[in-house]
Amino acid sequence: MNEVCVTATHAVTGLGPDLNSLWQGVIAGESAIRPLTRFATARYLTGNASWIEGVESKSGQSGIYPLLEQLIDGFAPVPAGATLITASTKGCIDSMERFQIGLPGDPAEVPMAPLLRHIARMLGLTSAGININAACASSTIALARAASLIATGKSDAVVVVCMDMVSEFVFSGFSALQALSGTACRPFDRNRDGLTLGEGGAALLLMSREQTIREGRPVLGVVAGWGAANDATHITAPARDGCGLIQSVRQALMRAAIAPEQIAAISAHGTATVYNDLMELTAFRALFGERSIPLHSIKGAIGHTLGAAGGIEVALGLKCLEAGLLPSTVGLLEPEESGEGFLSCSTQPIEGNYLLSTNSGFGGVNAALILRREE
Amino acid sequence: MAAFICGIGWVTGAGFGWGKQGSKFSMPDLSLPPLTRKDVFPEPNQRFGRMSEYTKLGLAAITFALRDARLEEWAEKRPIGVVASTHFGCLATDLEYHKTVLLEGGGLASPNLFAYTLANCFLGDAAIQFGLTGSSFAINETGEDNLGAIRMALEDLELGEADTMLAGICDLTAPDAFADGVSFKPGAVFIVLSLSPPAVSNNYGIISLVDDGRITYNGIHADSLPELIQAALAG
Repeated sequence: MNEVCVTATHAVTGLGPDLNSLWQGVIAGESAIRPLTRFATARYLTGNASWIEGVESKSGQSGIYPLLEQLIDGFAPVPAGATLITASTKGCIDSMERFQIGLPGDPAEVPMAPLLRHIARMLGLTSAGININAACASSTIALARAASLIATGKSDAVVVVCMDMVSEFVFSGFSALQALSGTACRPFDRNRDGLTLGEGGAALLLMSREQTIREGRPVLGVVAGWGAANDATHITAPARDGCGLIQSVRQALMRAAIAPEQIAAISAHGTATVYNDLMELTAFRALFGERSIPLHSIKGAIGHTLGAAGGIEVALGLKCLEAGLLPSTVGLLEPEESGEGFLSCSTQPIEGNYLLSTNSGFGGVNAALILRREE
Repeated sequence: MAAFICGIGWVTGAGFGWGKQGSKFSMPDLSLPPLTRKDVFPEPNQRFGRMSEYTKLGLAAITFALRDARLEEWAEKRPIGVVASTHFGCLATDLEYHKTVLLEGGGLASPNLFAYTLANCFLGDAAIQFGLTGSSFAINETGEDNLGAIRMALEDLELGEADTMLAGICDLTAPDAFADGVSFKPGAVFIVLSLSPPAVSNNYGIISLVDDGRITYNGIHADSLPELIQAALAG
């Protein structure tokens, strides 16, 4: 098996147009959650989201395109023969919305295939690849697939592009499910009252160690392990015993060939819904026992970016490993009782080389990645 | 990488069925048959009636494939993974849900419909119905051979992610306004792939992923999923 190296990362979030602004923002405890002006929110549980200036429909084209421009323009050169894997749950859903209410909007944008071809053209790739939709674990599974392709030698380079935007379609749905916080989300807080939506994107380039050396590329970190499993319990709620997440992490540990004791930090899904956060803490307790491991969620800073969440969290996770610091969870004031030993209201040092990054989603999906610091 | 095909299930414009039972498999560009609970499950199923049409379609084809592979019955959850390829995913449900968003400034948006506005949602229902705990996700691809999900399932088998995988396609008829320039036939077709040889009665032959990324069935290149299914059923 080839070693899977991450050689380039980029992220666009509510905290800024690049990974550095995201890092600076979360280290400073900032949040991009603020009132939305994109559509009327009077009938929804909240009017807040983490959104990006300029990510809106222009000339009838989906707002995902300006997001992609920001994302691809700031990304490293990609080999033309690289495999493309994208991760998005709803792609150009705003085009469907606009078309249905008689505003300029192109229905041909709605299927994912044209968007895939567009991204491939932007990156100068020779083939268009695939999009993965696994709800809020889409980009985690996309990265796991990319790592598999590199590890087995099926691809020399894989570029993963993750994106989702804040649309009224999705906003109204989470509001109808009573899943939105009335103010701003507070992951793992005992008074948490729901999630806050966000938009963003991430791009990551993965290569084998040999390929990075051949091309003289930097190694930002290594994807050491990955796993995915289904709860097989409920469509929209997690299994309370965390069985799917536990199975995913165990697979990732096995593939990384490390013991649970070697995990030095956790980037959790941490949506701030009552049941998700409790499920995660239950799973991590089952996996790691009473040992203290720094854990955070970045959703209090940039909202829940859905299909982009895992990609942004991995890009940030590599930065955390490099700096040896795990930023605090924005919004966390009173840690959930069962999170003792995991949760902290301040930035914590990472004393080790491995960071676990996990995501879960509708349809019972769970996925885990283990990142290793580059020596 | 090679695996045995040990179950085939489908719902197409020509009807529905599994293995060598029922309607002959073909994938015409015709309206899909309406599916009732009794068509899919012999016993009452409380959830089926509440599912979206897209979910019913995908779940039915998965049910038929597992029935053909004699994997429908289960007592303990099983690490079987599922990969499904789709062009439009749950667009029909999206449109239905969006109508509810337009009422009362979004105040009447339907939470039940929203729960089915993800392309992978029917895989969650399949996981619950059949205790499938492997990785499950939907893909969108740009190719027209409809074999992307099968390639990925074979890769998962090769990596040791699972010993048994389901792979296939699922699409309702494209809504008129969105169908321009898109070429595909509606329907859902799933096959069960296994590393272990099945019983003679449901051993449809060997499917392989060769180095150039192409799929072969019993050593012969398969150019499309319907062609592969027809060859397997004729074998």
